[in-house]
Amino acid sequence: MLFSGLLDYFNGLLIDKFRQSKFIRSFGLFSSIIINLGLLATFKYADFIIQNLNFLLGTTFTEPNILLPVGISFYTFQTLSYTIDVYKNEVKAERNLIDFLMYVSLFPQLVAGPIVRYAEVAKETRDRVFSWEAIHQGVNRFCLGLFKKVVLANSLGILVEKYLQVQFNDLSTPEAWFGIVLYSMQLYFDFSGYSDMAIGLGRIFGFTFPENFRHPYAATSVANFYQRWHMTLGRFLRDYVYIPLGGNKNYQIRNILVVWFLTGLWHGASWNFVLWGLFLGVFMVIEKILKKYFDLLPRFALYGYALVVVNYSRSFFYFDDFEKLSVFLGKLFYSPYPIGAGWISDLSSYSFLYVVVILFCIPWDEVFPKSSKTNQVAGKYYKSFSLVFNLIFLIIATALIVDDTYNPFIYFRF
Amino acid sequence: MILIIHLFTFDFDMVRKIEIVILFVCLISLPSLFIFLEKEEISISEKRVLATFPDFTWENYISGKLTKGINIYINDHFPFRDYAVRFTETFRYNLGFRLQNEQKIIVVERPKIEENSDLSGNLDSADAKNYLEGIDEAYSGSMLILDGKVYTQNAGNPAVSPYFSKMLNLYADSLQGKARVFSCVAPLSSAFIPLPEYEHYNKRNEETLLAIKANLNPGVYFADILGEMNQHYNEYLWYGSDHHWTGLGAYYGYVAFCKAAGITPVPLSSMEKKVKSGFLGSLYELTRDQSVRDRPDLVETYIPPGIETQAVRYNPYDFKYPQKTRVFCNSANYSTFICGDAPLIKITTNVKNGKKVAVVKNSMGNAFVVYLISHYEEIYVVDFRYSKHNLLTIMKDAQVNDLVFAMGMYGAMSRGTISLIRSLAYNINQDYDEVLKREREQEILDSINSIQDSLIVEN
Repeated sequence: MLFSGLLDYFNGLLIDKFRQSKFIRSFGLFSSIIINLGLLATFKYADFIIQNLNFLLGTTFTEPNILLPVGISFYTFQTLSYTIDVYKNEVKAERNLIDFLMYVSLFPQLVAGPIVRYAEVAKETRDRVFSWEAIHQGVNRFCLGLFKKVVLANSLGILVEKYLQVQFNDLSTPEAWFGIVLYSMQLYFDFSGYSDMAIGLGRIFGFTFPENFRHPYAATSVANFYQRWHMTLGRFLRDYVYIPLGGNKNYQIRNILVVWFLTGLWHGASWNFVLWGLFLGVFMVIEKILKKYFDLLPRFALYGYALVVVNYSRSFFYFDDFEKLSVFLGKLFYSPYPIGAGWISDLSSYSFLYVVVILFCIPWDEVFPKSSKTNQVAGKYYKSFSLVFNLIFLIIATALIVDDTYNPFIYFRF
Repeated sequence: MILIIHLFTFDFDMVRKIEIVILFVCLISLPSLFIFLEKEEISISEKRVLATFPDFTWENYISGKLTKGINIYINDHFPFRDYAVRFTETFRYNLGFRLQNEQKIIVVERPKIEENSDLSGNLDSADAKNYLEGIDEAYSGSMLILDGKVYTQNAGNPAVSPYFSKMLNLYADSLQGKARVFSCVAPLSSAFIPLPEYEHYNKRNEETLLAIKANLNPGVYFADILGEMNQHYNEYLWYGSDHHWTGLGAYYGYVAFCKAAGITPVPLSSMEKKVKSGFLGSLYELTRDQSVRDRPDLVETYIPPGIETQAVRYNPYDFKYPQKTRVFCNSANYSTFICGDAPLIKITTNVKNGKKVAVVKNSMGNAFVVYLISHYEEIYVVDFRYSKHNLLTIMKDAQVNDLVFAMGMYGAMSRGTISLIRSLAYNINQDYDEVLKREREQEILDSINSIQDSLIVEN
């Protein structure tokens, strides 16, 4: 991280200083791109590349098994975006090394995003304003994120493991869908919970990080879903890959597929992620081509369509074993097994959890716009009772975290 | 005071400030309590030793063991941990509403083998690992909860159990003419799930046990425990909250043994019955389901009439330092039978018929062995998990006539278990004091080595 930080700090200065010289400017930019992506490739994709080389060429290179530095996928993109922005003259180069390194190593969002662009926090790295209001907002946001991650995502995770792993072999079709939808929800609450905590911590320290999620499960198309899901990654790839490739104007279909190929690869060094990206990319291409027909469909059909495709695609995300993946994708269409006895009981005995999950997925801000009375009243109540909510969130989350190591030994003397 | 006045003046900003302060204090107070409170060393409800603080060594740091260890340590010793655990249980239970007569399938995580658990302290680590893997198979995965009773969903495997028979045959060969050998393997609770859709589990249990029978050499006796228990299908044969059979279930095991051995079982009606209530066993701890908690078990003990007993437990290696124990302990849990597990227990009765028996068992055998006191002068109870005695030497020295292998079916299906039982025949007699001395020396050596390691790292 220090290396990446220093590299882009000096490249930024270089580009800024020799703005007139196209050669030096380009040298700064390309050295940053090549070295940063090179580092990412070495640390994250070395094993993957060697596995594939061995497979294709029949060679027997050993996999280096390099330890992955924490947050490399995130900070590499952050420093890279900085250099590109300086190159495009969208921001001024940072002269203070400490301030710049702080931007690179900002711990709240280092591990799991959002991917913050330099321009968004440039001012705040230098002078932050202390404000009780901001701390209050930050605390609220943090507690909410903790609740989403520890209470909702982890509780869903227990069920996901049961359906997608333990009972995998005799899943019926409804159970397979049930499992994958729960996994989809788990991913959402896990990831958006982390983002909330990062944004909240940022707020407490005086930073305003960009939002990363906007109620994705209320999307009306696959493309729309990814305008609401991990928005900062989408934005990064749009600005630095999609648009430079030609955007909507030239080779749009190719551009979409390239971006989604990369999105898949970014998520993990494995072909199932690439497949996942391309699967979604194909749907987005279809949506573009058939746009006028999609526009004719009623809204609820669009919701349904997006949910089915997105949840189906989560299978690629969950199973990195291709054999299991193909079996599971089949089960989503047809499975000879009957519904297990435990399913009904899981539907009932977690029903409150599902209700909370669904409530959290509904974009209340879109249902009741900010100007509406309901929104204002609800907002006021939330503010008045936020301490109560926060304490409840904290207590439940703490108990659940502590419970994590509860590990009784049944075979030891009784 | 000023704070209170501000609170009542409805200065919203001030209220917010106070809110933040309260939250902050809450966040700080638990970690501070953690630092100052005294730390427990064991968890009674989980029956395990809690984690110790990891050593700060370079290897631990690089491999990530250090941070992982600290995380586990903090979780294990967190203030009010027991409350947190119970709270979580209640919280999870109330995530939805309950149906009547519901069948719930609970997924139990694979138990982890911890280096510092007491169990591995009693076994060589390789043995412990083998053994635990066997148990693992039987108890991890799904469990069915039906009306507050937990059943394992494992129903055996006829392909694996013949290995158990082969091991028994070896014993029978070397004891030919000297002692009879009995297979007394109990089925799993899955055989008794009272729902039609689980009937095939009973069948599968039967197939597994019959595979044992089919592979025994002629002359090795097979007790048809499942057949006997099936005749009493609806009785209280298994605890709902524990993975053992009840005193009654074990009684039918004993009846099956008597039939195989050609002795007349003591009728249940002639025995004195003692009942203790409120038992919540291992499966409750494992599933932590409130419906199980709401239905604690009864511990019923049947005491054969007119028999006086003396019992002594020995260390894993020899007969030094005997400790007195009892056949019936009168406690409100499964350890009421022979007061729990021990490497070797010798029971002497007032029966005078010249007959002696050795019982090789795991904990399932505890409830079974208590009924044998009516038929034998001496009973040697060998727990194959803890004992390093040589079984054949014991039998030869004491002139034992019968050798009984009494255990649950998961024991007969695990290669680790089978190899442990086999090794009872090959154990070389060791002096307990010598072993202790060696262990102490090894400990000192280890600590010197670790100090040297850390010095090297620091240099």
